[in-house]
Amino acid sequence: MSKTWVVTFETYLRQIKSWSFLFMILGPFVMIALTVGISYVSANSSRSSQQVAIISDSKVLRQSYLQQHQDGINTKITTTAAAKKALKANHLAGYLTISTSGKHLRGDYHGNKAMANGLKAQVQNFLTQYQTIQNYQAAKLSPQQKQALTQTPVLKQHVATKDGATNLAKIISFWILITMIYIILITYSTITAQEIASDKGTKIMEIIFSSTTATSYFVGKILGILLVIVTQIAIYLLGGWAGYGLAMHNAGIKRLVSANQSLVDSVIHNIVNLNLLYVLLGVVIYTLLAAYSGALVSKAEDASKAAQPVVMLGMLGFFAAFPFQNNLDALAVKILSYVPFFSSYFMPMRVINGTVSLAEQLGSLLVLLVTIGLFALYIGRQYQRLMLQTDSENMWQHLIHSFKD
Amino acid sequence: MLSIQHISKEFGPVKALNDVTFDVPDGQILGLIGQNGAGKSTTFHSILNFIDYGGSIQWQGHTLAAEDFDHIGYLPEERSLMTKLTIEQQIIYLARLKGQPAKVIRPQIDDWLQRFDVKGTRKSKINDLSKGNQQKVQLICTLIHQPDLLILDEPFSGLDPVNADLLKQAIVAAKERGAAIIFSSHDMEHVTAVCDRLVMLRKGNVVLRGTLEDVREQFGKTELFVTTDWTTEQLATLTGVASVTHRHGNRYVLHLTDAAAGPAIFDALTQGHYIEEFSQQPPTLDEIFRLKVGEEHV
Repeated sequence: MSKTWVVTFETYLRQIKSWSFLFMILGPFVMIALTVGISYVSANSSRSSQQVAIISDSKVLRQSYLQQHQDGINTKITTTAAAKKALKANHLAGYLTISTSGKHLRGDYHGNKAMANGLKAQVQNFLTQYQTIQNYQAAKLSPQQKQALTQTPVLKQHVATKDGATNLAKIISFWILITMIYIILITYSTITAQEIASDKGTKIMEIIFSSTTATSYFVGKILGILLVIVTQIAIYLLGGWAGYGLAMHNAGIKRLVSANQSLVDSVIHNIVNLNLLYVLLGVVIYTLLAAYSGALVSKAEDASKAAQPVVMLGMLGFFAAFPFQNNLDALAVKILSYVPFFSSYFMPMRVINGTVSLAEQLGSLLVLLVTIGLFALYIGRQYQRLMLQTDSENMWQHLIHSFKD
Repeated sequence: MLSIQHISKEFGPVKALNDVTFDVPDGQILGLIGQNGAGKSTTFHSILNFIDYGGSIQWQGHTLAAEDFDHIGYLPEERSLMTKLTIEQQIIYLARLKGQPAKVIRPQIDDWLQRFDVKGTRKSKINDLSKGNQQKVQLICTLIHQPDLLILDEPFSGLDPVNADLLKQAIVAAKERGAAIIFSSHDMEHVTAVCDRLVMLRKGNVVLRGTLEDVREQFGKTELFVTTDWTTEQLATLTGVASVTHRHGNRYVLHLTDAAAGPAIFDALTQGHYIEEFSQQPPTLDEIFRLKVGEEHV
C-alpha cells in the first residue's frame, strides 16, 4: 500500500471514529425526528379540540351529511347533551344541529368561536343541496323541468400550470444546491483547517517528513477528508432513501408526493446532472484552500483561526448568489460562473435556469479542474516548509512569504 | 556511508552552517557536539531534506531520494507522538510510513516494549503514558524498522541512567548490525561511551573532528592527576601550571600550559620520594568542549 493511502486511511479512520463526526451525522436525523415527533404530539393533542360534532333528530339527515364529509368531524358524539359536555371540556370546537321544521331545513352551530370559512361553506353547501331536493319534491316537477333548473354557469380557469411548476422546481433546486454546497463547505473547511493546523510545528511532522514526501502526505490528508465527506453524503442519501420509503407508508405524504410528482421529478433532474460535479469539485477546491490556510497559521494553538478566511470566502459566494437568483442573465453571474471558488455557486444556477450551453459548462469545469490541479501542486511544494515553520509570523506574513519563495 | 561535503546554510544574515564536511561510515557512530545554536539540528534537517542547502549530501554514493527515507530512523530533539493513538497504532502507523507492512511489525511490538521496559501494554493510549515512557515509545518507532541510517537529535535528553544504558545498548546493537549512526548530545560522557568519532561545531563551523583518541591527543597530555600534601596555592606556583583543580582530599588536577612541563613538576613533587599518584593525560572530552567553547569568548 502506498504511503499516501496509509495517510488517507489514518486520517479517515481518526475522523469517523470521533464523537464530533457521530454528532455531525446524527444531528440532522435528530432534528427531523424531534420536529416530526413534536408536530405529531401537538397535532394529536389539538386534533380533538378542533373537531365538530353533527347532531340531528333525523338519522337520515345526519348520515347524509356524514357520507359527504368525514374530515374534522367527531362521529362518536350524537346527542346535544354529549356535545355540550365535550365543548365545555374543550374537546370539541363546536357542534352543528341540523333540523327540519315543516319544509324548511335549518342548521345551528354552537361553538366558542365562529365557524371556519371552509366548514361554513361545507355546511352551507350541504344545506342548500338538501333543501333544493326537498323543494323539487314539494314542487312535483317533471324530469325536464328539474333538468332545466339544474343548469349552472361555467367558470373555467386557464393557468399555465407547466411553466409555474417549472419555475417552482428551479427555485427549489437552486436553494437545495447552494445550501448543500454552503453547508458542506463550511463544515469541512473548518475540519480540514483544524486537522492540518493541529499538526503545525509539532515534531511528529519531522518524523513523518523523514518517512514520506510532503506532497504524498498532503494528498493523503486531503483524500482522507474527502472520503469522510463522501461517507457523510452516502449516509444522508441512504438515510433519505430509507426515510422516503417510510414516509410513503403515510397516506397523506403519498398523496402529497403523487400530486406533485412532476415537481419532484424536475427538482431531481435539476440536481442530478453536471451540477453534482460542481458540488464535488467545489468541495475539493475549498478543502484545498482550507488545508493551505491551516498550514499558514503560526502554531497548532491557532487552529481555530485557520478556517476563518475560507469560511468567509464560502459565505461571500453563498450570499452573492442571492441577489441574482431572479436575474441569471446578469454579466456578473456569467463572469462568476467561470471564476473558481464562485463557479460552484453560479454555474449550477445557470444550469438550472437552462440558459447555458454544454460547451460553456464544460469550459467552466475545465477552468475549475486546472485550478485545482495547479493549486494542489503549489500547496504540495510549499507544504513541508510551512508545516515545519516554527517562527512567530502570523498567517498573512506566512502567506506573503510563500508567494515570495 | 553518509557523506556530507561542504554544506552551507544561511538564515537571512545568520550563517548556520559554513562548509561543513564529514563522513559517517556504515557500522560507525559519529557524535555531533556543540553548543545550542552551533548548527547540529540544521545539519540533521539538511540531511533529511527539510531545508535547502548548499553543498552535497550523499547516502551510499547517491543523493538522498524519497526511497531512501525507508532506511532512515530519525529522532527529533523535541519528542512528539499522536497522543490519541494506542502504542500499537502509533508504532504501526509510523512503521507503515517507512514501508513496513503491519503484519511484520505487529509481532515485534511486545519484544521491543519489553526491551525498553515500557510501563504499559500495546493497547495503552500514548496519552496515558508518563513522559519517560512516551520517549521510549518514540525510540521504538525510530528503531523498529531496522534503519541503515540512524539520526538521533539529543537521544539521551530526559532519560535516567538506567534508561540511558538501555538506549546505549540499542545504539550499539544497531552499529553491530552495520547501521551508520549520527547523534548529537550535550553530555560528553555519553559521547565518550558510544562514539567512534566526533565532530564539533561552533557557529556552523567544524572546529574539531576525528576519533576520540585523536581529538584528545591533539591537545597533548596537559592534564596532570596527582596525589600530594602540597596545597592548591603551592601547586599553582609550579612552572608550567596554568591552573589547579582540587578533586578531593589531597588529590588535584594540574592543568598545564605545555605537556613538556611534566617531568620538572614530577621532580619538584617527589624530590626522590614515593608519591601515590602521578598521571599525565590528555584533557577529557568535557574539558575540550569547554576549552573550544571558551575560545569563542576570547
